[in-house]
Amino acid sequence: MCGVCGCSDETNTVTMTDMRNGNVAVVREGGLHHQHDNHNHHHHPHEGEDQPHIHGPNGEVVMLETAILAKNDKLAAQNRGWFEGRDVLALNIVSSPGAGKTTLLERTIKDMKDERQLYVIEGDQMTANDAERIRDAGAEAIQINTGAGCHLEADMVGDAARTLDPKPGSILMIENVGNLVCPAMFDLGERMKVAVISTTEGEDKPLKYPHMFQAAELVLINKIDLAPYVDFDEETCRSNIKAVNPNADVLTISATTGEGMSAWYDVMRKLRPV
Amino acid sequence: MHELGLTRNIIAIVSEHAGERRVKRVQVAVGPQACVEQQALSFCFGIVTEGTVLEGADLEFIEAEGDAFLIKEYEFREVA
Repeated sequence: MCGVCGCSDETNTVTMTDMRNGNVAVVREGGLHHQHDNHNHHHHPHEGEDQPHIHGPNGEVVMLETAILAKNDKLAAQNRGWFEGRDVLALNIVSSPGAGKTTLLERTIKDMKDERQLYVIEGDQMTANDAERIRDAGAEAIQINTGAGCHLEADMVGDAARTLDPKPGSILMIENVGNLVCPAMFDLGERMKVAVISTTEGEDKPLKYPHMFQAAELVLINKIDLAPYVDFDEETCRSNIKAVNPNADVLTISATTGEGMSAWYDVMRKLRPV
Repeated sequence: MHELGLTRNIIAIVSEHAGERRVKRVQVAVGPQACVEQQALSFCFGIVTEGTVLEGADLEFIEAEGDAFLIKEYEFREVA
């Protein structure tokens, strides 16, 4: 049991639920002692099996210089090629829990339904609640439950995307686990990360969680209809975003009232898969 | 929060490379922007290496730039 985050226990099984038919597939097994895929291939035969087993000089140092996220990055690159080949625009939507990602997607699905087909991969630790909301809004969805995991990784998205099988010209929204820390590190093969910040969170979120706002190309300031009630200053928020990421585009919206949403749709209309 | 997964990546990469030989030490370079908590990584390393060729190995850190997060090198145990 990992005392830091608890993510080593058996609940760390990652599952994928296809909301079209209710099929549940295990993407990763939980628990610590997973078998390595090519484990058996290491048992190569040697001459003189009863002799001391020495492979060469002892105690030598091996230079590796290997990026620890290389495997994820490679799978993300495969996903990116897959999306490009199918002409699918993939967006990785990131925010803290409760910033309004699912409401944003519900409204986007309804408003764009006559124009573009949307598909959604929902990431949450537990429950299929969000994928049910997406399905009810009219889009095909797959729910990934990460168990104790705190973010989506490229292999999960690759599996879910192949199962969803989005049509050419469609948009695939990947709603990441609500978390402003870890999802910043993991490339999923998306065209861009879109960070959502809501007025109820305060203007200084970009300063507190700079990694995420540096990784995002577009920031949506959501729940602007609530700004007067929560003493939110939009200009301060925009200058804080600019302080950590001068290149990010920033749009102000309310997914509930629809304010500013047309600018968000225009961004998606202009984006190509790669 | 994600250090357990990162630790598993480190162990997968090194054990794939080392094959059946036991490993004494792994050196990892971590940049200040890497979003990696070294104490959490060390904690997870001790647990996840159990039952692998890295069991009992030392995890060393060296400073790096930017968001670098690399396995620099590893050292085999001497065979008795």
